[in-house]
Amino acid sequence: MRFALRRCGVLVWGVSLSLALDLSVELGLEWYWGAAGLGSGLSLTAHAEEVEPPAHRVLHISSSTAETTLDPVGIQDLYSAKLASVLFEGALTYDYLASPAKLIPLLAEGMPEISDGGKTWTIHLKKNVRFAPDPAFKGKERTVQASDMAYTLYRLLDPALHSPFSFLLEGKLVGLDDLAKKAREGKQPYDYKAKIPGVEVVDASTLRLRLNAPDANFGHSLAQPNLGIIAPEVVQFYGDQMGSHPVGTGPYFVKRWMRGASMTLDRNPYYRARPWAFESGQDPASQKVIQEMKGKMIPAIPRIEIKIIPEAQSAWLAFRRGETDLIDLPSKLSPVALSRGHLKAELVKQGIQHEIAVEPEIIGNYMNLQDPMVGGMDPAHIALRRAILMSSDDEAMIRVIRKGQAVRLSYPVPPGVLGHDPKYKSMLPYDPVAANFLLDAYGFKKAADGLRRQPDGSPLVVRYWRTNEGESRDMEELAKRGMDQLHIRFEGHAVPFPDLLKAERSCQVMMRQFAWIADYPDGDDFMQLFYGPNIHANNVFCFQDAQWDRLYQETVALGPGEKRDQLYQKMARMIEMYGVMKISHARLHHELLQPKVMGFHISTIASLAEWPFLDLR
Amino acid sequence: MAAYLIRRLVQMVPTLLGVILLVFLLFNWVGGDPAYVLAGKFSNPDDIANIRRQLGVDQPLYIQFGIFLRQVLTFDYGLSWSTQEPVSHIFLTRLGPSIALLLPMLILETLIGVAIALAVAYVRDSWIDRALTLSTTAAMSISLLIYIIVGQYFFAFVLGWFPVQGWANHGEGWVRYAVLPILLGLAVSIAPAIRLYRTFILDEMGQDYVRTARAKGLSETRVMWVHVLRNASIPIITNVLSSLPGLLIGAFLLERFFSIPGIGREVIMAVERSDFPVIKAITVSVAIATMVFNLLADLAYQWVDPRVKLS
Repeated sequence: MRFALRRCGVLVWGVSLSLALDLSVELGLEWYWGAAGLGSGLSLTAHAEEVEPPAHRVLHISSSTAETTLDPVGIQDLYSAKLASVLFEGALTYDYLASPAKLIPLLAEGMPEISDGGKTWTIHLKKNVRFAPDPAFKGKERTVQASDMAYTLYRLLDPALHSPFSFLLEGKLVGLDDLAKKAREGKQPYDYKAKIPGVEVVDASTLRLRLNAPDANFGHSLAQPNLGIIAPEVVQFYGDQMGSHPVGTGPYFVKRWMRGASMTLDRNPYYRARPWAFESGQDPASQKVIQEMKGKMIPAIPRIEIKIIPEAQSAWLAFRRGETDLIDLPSKLSPVALSRGHLKAELVKQGIQHEIAVEPEIIGNYMNLQDPMVGGMDPAHIALRRAILMSSDDEAMIRVIRKGQAVRLSYPVPPGVLGHDPKYKSMLPYDPVAANFLLDAYGFKKAADGLRRQPDGSPLVVRYWRTNEGESRDMEELAKRGMDQLHIRFEGHAVPFPDLLKAERSCQVMMRQFAWIADYPDGDDFMQLFYGPNIHANNVFCFQDAQWDRLYQETVALGPGEKRDQLYQKMARMIEMYGVMKISHARLHHELLQPKVMGFHISTIASLAEWPFLDLR
Repeated sequence: MAAYLIRRLVQMVPTLLGVILLVFLLFNWVGGDPAYVLAGKFSNPDDIANIRRQLGVDQPLYIQFGIFLRQVLTFDYGLSWSTQEPVSHIFLTRLGPSIALLLPMLILETLIGVAIALAVAYVRDSWIDRALTLSTTAAMSISLLIYIIVGQYFFAFVLGWFPVQGWANHGEGWVRYAVLPILLGLAVSIAPAIRLYRTFILDEMGQDYVRTARAKGLSETRVMWVHVLRNASIPIITNVLSSLPGLLIGAFLLERFFSIPGIGREVIMAVERSDFPVIKAITVSVAIATMVFNLLADLAYQWVDPRVKLS
């Protein structure tokens, strides 16, 4: 009996714990439980608007991945970048509806004044733009100054922060790289107060930037969430916990946050009057959005509730139950919601809205041009690589692995990105017969075991690298099937992701499937992948060709336009000709929306959240 | 007792060192170089070298091991590599939801499991006993994943009795969110518990002291709930206490499907992100907890049965 009584005591304690937890959240005391290790809420409500919006004015969103950090310089994943895009603002941003992407001013009064042959950019910031309220400001009103933008630029290159997006400014502003280099070499601390010619604060709202060389893409750098303007005192106040305390000038601020689980964003009470005035899209879908939203203010929705739902089934059921208002449909759920690419009739009847767009990305198999087996620029090895790439069955990849939710691509610049060529025809079709003919013609003969050998009789083995994930296993199966058709010995090689990156950057990966999603919506983001000096960095193909590199340098100076497009076409052809990479496909982005959501349009900029531009019926 | 305690605590030290060494070697052997992931898409060799220096992974292995030892002793594992959140804060904030989910589950499992096991042991070989044996075997044969998928679909989506997912954080109650995951977790864990406890109780019911108690005219309730249960409680306590370290790693499938911000979900995220400080902290903590709860189980034996001598 004593035993049973003791057990009852434990149960009573357990129930008490549950009720206490329950009561605490009802009373808004979840932070205290978090501190005591019994909950995980973090309330950031110190200076928030106290008025609770009605339930029908709250937008509910889910994300399959959790945020990493909300310190702009540390962000490298898309979901965190989207969050940053509503919490912080840079000098420039993108037109919500424009495709291809179009830069527009955000915190700048107008587009930068460019002089000195493209080397000097003068930016006039809007006056009286206030940061969201935060204890770091000690109750004082804090408006954005040109010095804040200068600090933000300096901070991106701070070696101590090792920003994954430091490339946005590396080598661009006169003197900034030297400052970072000295700090990296330990010669002196990174000096935020050092005056450099590249960044000049002219007055409280004017910043003059001097570039090492004209750069047509510099505006894109200024529009990235990683350069959302921050105040130095916030960094000093929170130190290495900046990632947990996002304080910007964006339309929303963080009201509550359970890291990796949920977040409540409330309308920034200090946000300036910003009318919804996008007019770029000429297509019917954009026109519908314009009709719905014209005359409203940004942001129209007072509160956004975000939940991290990693499992596709849970996200789908939550959407169907109306617990969330938007769902980025995972490809594994497409058979449940879509029929031949269109929304199923039962969902249409319920008024569910469906938006579809091609992701700004390229996916395809590549070969390493410095690999001892398949590398080299001699005709035989070029033919070998082309034959291997021609055995890649892209349609099967789309049908089987992507469940039909991808589009065939062959150009290195995807749709929606400046420099895309929709008319480009690939010279590397899926054609095992032609590929075998090519191998025969260049001396890769079959031996007695039925497998091909190198022209000198040595073994020929294709080693396909991949990570341990399920999808990459399927990709390996498809690659093996292609090699079997070519009678080439095939080896799959699965390694952890960091090891794969390491091997790739030291030119040890013979072949693998590669994907690249736009960091900024310009063809340069994709073409730089093949640039010779980027070997051991982004040029994982280890491809170096003097002619190609010369053409690339020309395109950098030219900027978007017909002349650059012509050069891109030539460069794309060379990539195929040398058997560097076969661009295969880009995934489709399906977004489903509850009937009450207005103004949704899938932005061509993956890192730009649509939420501030929406309203609820 | 004090001597026993001290001896056991001292014995834990080499075990813990072994665990730490194993974890360290495993992460260095299979973990890969984190700098390549953290450096991002546009990194160059200089960036990678800079990150390796800051993480300390460019140091010789013995220095890295020393740092790891210090982290274990001070419970300061530094910052998460992917989120820059202090690992101790991650532990502190994610432990609550896991405990709030798993502790009621464990308590209910033990109470219900013991009660049912006593009942079926009492009527052993009857049709009730056989039906329960059959049904628990069937229940044990079904994966937790099936329980979760079907349970979430049926009880939350079709019937709408519970939310599909979520956790108490914005003013809505714990009961509202926790009941379905707890019931589903219980549905999986209760069957093996009943089978196990029934065996323990049947072993005791065949003992001479039970016959003696009945011969003395004690009621069946007293025989079963006091004499049998008391003697069967040693293996039951072992089983319950050995389950307790599991509270530290959470029920990752339940937490993932129901979007519960517990430790289990954090472990999965840390693995997906190769966030080694978090993985190391949780692995070592679970090892320590296992040793501590084993010690507590030994102490509890004496508490339950004074005939047990700790030496």
